Amino acid sequence: MTAGPPEIRGRDSLEIDALVTDRYLESILAAHARGADMAPIPADRHPDPDVRQAVARLARELPRLHPSFRFEEALAGKLQEAAARMRLPLAAGGEGDASVLAVRGPDLPIAAIDEGDRIRLLGDTRLVIGRPLLVGGAVTSAALSIAGAVYVAWRIRHPQASPMARAIRAVARTRLA
Amino acid sequence: MARPALRKVGRPEEGGPRLAHLDRDRRLVEAAQADPARFEALYRKYLAQVYSFAYYELRDHHEAEDATERTFLAALAGLARFEERARPADGEGASTFRVWLFQIARNAIAERRRRQRRRPEAPLEAAEHVADPLDLEATAVRHDAATAAVRAISRLAGDRRRALILRFVDEMTTHEIAGVLGRSEGAVRVLIHRALRTVARELDDQPQ
Repeated sequence: MTAGPPEIRGRDSLEIDALVTDRYLESILAAHARGADMAPIPADRHPDPDVRQAVARLARELPRLHPSFRFEEALAGKLQEAAARMRLPLAAGGEGDASVLAVRGPDLPIAAIDEGDRIRLLGDTRLVIGRPLLVGGAVTSAALSIAGAVYVAWRIRHPQASPMARAIRAVARTRLA
Repeated sequence: MARPALRKVGRPEEGGPRLAHLDRDRRLVEAAQADPARFEALYRKYLAQVYSFAYYELRDHHEAEDATERTFLAALAGLARFEERARPADGEGASTFRVWLFQIARNAIAERRRRQRRRPEAPLEAAEHVADPLDLEATAVRHDAATAAVRAISRLAGDRRRALILRFVDEMTTHEIAGVLGRSEGAVRVLIHRALRTVARELDDQPQ
């Protein structure tokens, strides 16, 4: 590949190829993020066909993952407790960063999607996920993810009544009492 | 308090350039530094990304959950000491908080991997455990492809694997990956390029 543009002159061939691949990746991943086709790239800025094909496949096929919802909420609870412990020294005029955190909690079971959720959500066509999604150990399909559907539905059923917000209110109530 | 990271945005005809913070997480970080209870917004935003990184690296849900938990608890504990270091060259939407968080995750994962070496390793074949009652045939094809892609990634060595996971799964920029891995941007570009060549060979004979 020849070094045309000024930014790649003076580099060795591997660096140039890597830079071309990087620019190509930037374009294709940006297009994926927008859900649009990639903007045309001049042929002399294309990486070799093998690399292009690998990029296309990884961008399309690598699953994204999400932990189980049970884990998510359990960890949110632990963070809320840790935050409350940190806020107490802050309120007392301390630095607030000397808390000792209990890092390891009990093992959490992988979340199970209950059958009711499956039945309610199978027909929800709004929930299209572009790539495979894995939730707590169960990979779903790329086109319509049941787990993704359950996740979104769960989010809808649980708007911002967050554990953190509840913790803040609880601490405030304690102080007032 | 963190040092502001600013860049000029906007066209002169709009009344001259204005300044905007570079780090898209800056407000969330400052809110959480002022009140640790507000760390939840950052937690919800990055949970799946950190978990994905941990899962691809550790190939076990429980281990990935454990590393994720350690990452966020450590991030919350250390948030008061976090300092924003985004520069104009980092580009719009750069997040040094995300880089910092993934540096913590990388350390937590390394610790889990050391533990894993002391016992037999479970293979990452997550994409094979797929069930979609809606379209079994298409699902099977997609899942074969996903399995092949996951397998090709998991066979890469060390930072090559991490760089591709961060690029394709977490959609980080080269600059961010360089920050997470502690390498130069040029080195990360070469890592990714070489990793893609290896993946290309790996996928060559497999179905699409």
